[in-house]
Amino acid sequence: MSRERTRFVQTTVEVEGRTETRVVEVPAFEPAPWTADTPLSIVGTSPLRVDAFEKVTGRARYTADIVRPGMLYAVIVRAPRAKGTLTAIDLETARSLPGVRAVMGIGDAPAGTRLFKREVSYAGQPLAAVCAESLDTAERAARVIAASLVIEAAPHAVTVDDAIAPDAPQVRKAGNTTEPDIVQRGDVARGLAEAEVTITREYRTQVALHSALETHGAVCEWNDDQLTVWESTQGIFRVRSDVAKALGLPQAKVRVIKDYMGGGFGAKNGAGAHTYTAALFARTLGAPVRCVNDRRAEQTDSGNRPATVQKVTIAARKDGTLTALVLDARIPLGISGWEGGPAQIFHEMYACPNVRTSETCVYINASGMQAFRGPGYVEGAFALEGAMNALARALQMDPVVLRLKNLATRDERADREFSGNRLDECYAEGMRRFSWHSPVSRLPSPVSRLKRGYGVAAQTWPTGGGPPSYAHVRINSDGSVDVLAGTQDLGTGSRTILAQIAAEALGARFDTVRAVIGDTERLPYTGNSWGSMTTPSVGPAVRMAAEDAKMQLLEAAAQMMGLPLVVLSTRDSHIVSTDGASLSFGDLCRQLGNIQIVGRGSRGPNPELAVVTVGAQFAEVEVDAETGVVRVVRVVAVHDAGRIINPALAESQLHGGIIQGIGYALFEERHIDRARGVTLNANLHDYMIPTMADIPAIDASFLDGADPAANHVGARGIAEPPIIPTAPAIAAAVADALGVEVCALPLTPWRVLGALAE
Amino acid sequence: MLITINGSPRQVDPSRSPTLLAALRDQLGLTGPKLGCDHGECGACTVRLDGDLVYACLTLTAACENAQVQTVEGLAEGNTLAPLQQAFITHDAAQCGYCTPGQLLAAAALLERNPHPTDAEIRTAMSGNLCRCGTYPKIINAIRAVSDAGTAAP
Repeated sequence: MSRERTRFVQTTVEVEGRTETRVVEVPAFEPAPWTADTPLSIVGTSPLRVDAFEKVTGRARYTADIVRPGMLYAVIVRAPRAKGTLTAIDLETARSLPGVRAVMGIGDAPAGTRLFKREVSYAGQPLAAVCAESLDTAERAARVIAASLVIEAAPHAVTVDDAIAPDAPQVRKAGNTTEPDIVQRGDVARGLAEAEVTITREYRTQVALHSALETHGAVCEWNDDQLTVWESTQGIFRVRSDVAKALGLPQAKVRVIKDYMGGGFGAKNGAGAHTYTAALFARTLGAPVRCVNDRRAEQTDSGNRPATVQKVTIAARKDGTLTALVLDARIPLGISGWEGGPAQIFHEMYACPNVRTSETCVYINASGMQAFRGPGYVEGAFALEGAMNALARALQMDPVVLRLKNLATRDERADREFSGNRLDECYAEGMRRFSWHSPVSRLPSPVSRLKRGYGVAAQTWPTGGGPPSYAHVRINSDGSVDVLAGTQDLGTGSRTILAQIAAEALGARFDTVRAVIGDTERLPYTGNSWGSMTTPSVGPAVRMAAEDAKMQLLEAAAQMMGLPLVVLSTRDSHIVSTDGASLSFGDLCRQLGNIQIVGRGSRGPNPELAVVTVGAQFAEVEVDAETGVVRVVRVVAVHDAGRIINPALAESQLHGGIIQGIGYALFEERHIDRARGVTLNANLHDYMIPTMADIPAIDASFLDGADPAANHVGARGIAEPPIIPTAPAIAAAVADALGVEVCALPLTPWRVLGALAE
Repeated sequence: MLITINGSPRQVDPSRSPTLLAALRDQLGLTGPKLGCDHGECGACTVRLDGDLVYACLTLTAACENAQVQTVEGLAEGNTLAPLQQAFITHDAAQCGYCTPGQLLAAAALLERNPHPTDAEIRTAMSGNLCRCGTYPKIINAIRAVSDAGTAAP
């Protein structure tokens, strides 16, 4: 490892499907990559989740469990209709109630918070807030304010069709739709002309809600002009910059802490109305304030996966070779949001010379979208993989054979090689585990109302992560180790796997290493835990910090032991020499006394390669042709994500993605009343997420191996990929069972029966 | 009024906390039971009331006078975990962990009632406790491990 001067270069980073170019530092040194053949003893094994004890004893503290002395409770009053102007609101009655300490309404919050506006543009929009000595009192006062609201109603649009109609009400001043975002390669007209088979379909996907069991929430406390925020978040540094900007504070005056959180799934990537409300009341009242969404607020106004309408044309020769892929998509984002659209997977999943996608975002009078596990790709995969399966049926081909024929061997969208992509092996291993038989050769289902069907779908997702990400590894004076990184564990297991990486690189025993995360004041910067980025971004920074600390330990040991550096290495928390001498980290550090060894690491630039996690899923379903009820019998998933740091935790991530995918496929759907524009199922009873009774047998695995070209740890991200192919695999199985395609999600009984009736 | 919480009689003021969940969390500092929906839909607040499983968010504090309430904090003895807790750790049956206290109590009640449940019985008995992380397969494995071990006290 030679150390050289840090310099700055440009690199590209893919975040939730968007490519960003950033200026980054080149680290002082980068360790040689851990290849598939590097002997590793801790990485690649499954030590138990380090924070499991706290979770099974109820001692893990989540944001709503934080109690501060003298803490007050805030509740937000939300708009009961989708559009209009607030013409009257009575805050004084609420203010005078016993136990109420303060109220806020129009004009009471700094502009940067975007809170409490007179113009209502979606149901659930914050209009006022109240702070009281108990949650009960605050809720009662909020109801008093809600009862006083007078909103002069204006026409609204809550569906794509309503928002693009010729006489549509104005949703946003700049217009209800964005300019179409058209991306193309090759010549689609020629590809269509060359085709021998052309399939055209319209696919529709629904609005899905993240529905983390812990709602969004924050506890805010001021000490003089210093603000501390406890927040359930995927990005402590993002919350810090959001709060600092909105309240006009230097970032140095804001500390954000996240210890445990009850799920995020993409909805918790920054500060929100609850954060600002708590911070403002806490400043005014000089007391800590907790503001936590109730379930209705959570299901109404905390983000969602937007719906899509996707017109797809897929064209091929008789031998299955794709000649053209065409997508025309409309995406109702809500009142705001960014494009996490369905198009990109059309450019990346298959080898195809002629691809053209057009995405038009539509603004509607509903709460804005937020990234939701695999944003865009989940919606896009339902259409693309559905069309591929329709093409396979039209060609009388095995859908796996069709996919293998069109396997992408390089990233045709960005015209670059893959760091690694073993999707062909995922198909092969999945077929073996599933005992896949081509539908072409399979015997027809017996005549019965219960129909069995089998389906397949695949996924790709950019999982390279990237800089900036920093970590420190601190060796304590007894030889125990602290890994310091300002990242967060959403329940994914990052606390555990970062400790594994550090222990491996340092040659320390796993049980002597602890990862400290989730505090902006005391830990070096890392980015949000989104886009399946934490392991490939923070992992290499942690490894580099541990390697740096190891070098320092070895240099100190060489002096202490009177041996040349080259004969020393570390193993099992000991310095060992080639001639058999051994000195424990503890003994070495005790001799060093209070000399502190701190290794520093940072994530280097990305290679000029496409770094993706890929996989294939196979589903078996049983469909009741009389009731339309779909039951998923089993799912087999095989993914390639490079090196797997902890197979047990990685398997849990696959289960989670597949199970959320089953909910998306079968029953999750937000319903908005078109007449009033309010969400009708803003709870966990009518918005149905999978229960234990809904889940099939799941066989989920990763290919063994490593991706040393992606980064020097050899690991890619895994959190989002598994949700992407689940719904299209299930839909393919339903089509196989019934001989009829259902092109809209979720596959509820009435949709299934409707398709059968046609 | 008195409620026996995890074996110890505790003074609780029902007028300050109408629901048992609020009394446990706000008056007694027992934050193992979680608020997930406040409407008996998610099971994060599951506790045992005289042995029965209840949603603490739907249980009136005033109706619990002199009752025995068990929360997740009452499963372990000191730092000695109950077999189910240990099995949840061994089988990685907690991802974010928010639903875990409720899952553990539901599983404990199931195994007391039916020490050797079938998979179908586990799925039915546990279906009132939602897990958004999708930890269900591993929760089933953990319950099955305790059931197969035939441990007397789950």
